[in-house]
Amino acid sequence: MKFNTDRKWLERRADQEDRHFISVGGLISTLDPTCQTELESTQSMETTKTAFARLLQLARRERRLSLENLAEKADVDLAELFKIETDEAFTPNLRTVHQLALVLDLPAKKLMVLAGLLQVKDVSLQQASVRFAARSEPIGNVSPEEHAALEEYVKFLNER
Amino acid sequence: MNPKRTMTLNLTDQEMVVLEELSVQKDLSKTALLRQALRMYQLVDARISRGEKLFFEDHEKQKAELMVL
Amino acid sequence: MKETIQIIDNQSGQLVDAEIFDEVALAHFIETQAEWRPVVLEAARALSKSPNQATLIPRHYHWDWTRKEAELKMLALKFYGLSCEERLQGIMKVETVARSCRLPEQQGKPLVYIDYIETAPWNIKQLMVPLGKAQQYRGVGSRLFEAAVLQSVEEDFKGRLGLHSLPGSEGFYIRECGMTPVGRDPHKQNLLWCEFTPEQARRYLAGE
Repeated sequence: MKFNTDRKWLERRADQEDRHFISVGGLISTLDPTCQTELESTQSMETTKTAFARLLQLARRERRLSLENLAEKADVDLAELFKIETDEAFTPNLRTVHQLALVLDLPAKKLMVLAGLLQVKDVSLQQASVRFAARSEPIGNVSPEEHAALEEYVKFLNER
Repeated sequence: MNPKRTMTLNLTDQEMVVLEELSVQKDLSKTALLRQALRMYQLVDARISRGEKLFFEDHEKQKAELMVL
Repeated sequence: MKETIQIIDNQSGQLVDAEIFDEVALAHFIETQAEWRPVVLEAARALSKSPNQATLIPRHYHWDWTRKEAELKMLALKFYGLSCEERLQGIMKVETVARSCRLPEQQGKPLVYIDYIETAPWNIKQLMVPLGKAQQYRGVGSRLFEAAVLQSVEEDFKGRLGLHSLPGSEGFYIRECGMTPVGRDPHKQNLLWCEFTPEQARRYLAGE
């Protein structure tokens, strides 16, 4: 095969290529949204984890409990509790979530889904989590708006 | 390209006529045309061997099974 | 077939030797999944964070991997790999039998159909930019495309070439390469079918 050996030709073609996605099929294709599904599930997990962290924090603050108080009451590790509230990428262990659910009077199984310990494709849970995460703030006193948001979200979790 | 070997082909007059006509129609040399035929044969055979069926569909969307090799 | 060609090393701006070969093995495909995919996903996540880039999110090609070994034996199918520094930089799959020309002036004549052409994500500018990285090599996709055109010439197809362009690449194939847009294909997610005539292929190869 006689490939073009002219440098200018190659530079020109490389410039053109850089301005576009020239892949046909391949990983850069619209032929099957498998990657999209993977990306979507990553994003939805991030949202539910945010909702989980906020939910725990608001529920704790509603009861006027400090992190230490809650850790003691639920018989869980304080460091882990701190991580749950501050590091959204963190996945807590099963027992911790179960204990917190007991103390904070929240549905345990739902909490495990939110924490990323259980995989369930639930669009309405996803949507409710997004709404709740958007309406809650991670610090400060529980405002009336946050209180309303918390109530609504807990009601939703308990109903299903 | 990969190295090639030469083969002599004995064709009837009728076969030669068809080969020549198709070559003109497809703008291919006779060798290239026969190469295409071989590729197509292998491809079709492989799929039929896997249990698939080859159909033709006419203008009225009627399907007719083409072949079982 | 194995040939040495040049691509551009982005950092130095120099031409470097690379190899184009057609003895693509299973191991090469596994490499694309194991090494390329994670980088593509990483770039997709970075891209999805910026709203106007969301349309560039890569999708996964659904190719039946279980049939790949059988496909490697088919004369009608040809796979090309491009490697540099012993690492796979690009891969391409072409077909010569299942499809033919659709342009009226060459209707029914055989062509080389590019089914799949892909460059390793670290060579794609739009994927590296959101990751804050620089491309490694440039011109990889173009070399593979060039190989497809050269194959068409060698096959006696006179340079006739066809492909279904992805929405984001239509400008590239039509304006930059000079292909003719023939029409949207309802059998292929309405992708645009683009074709080379012998004259267009000749001009592409010559750089006119």
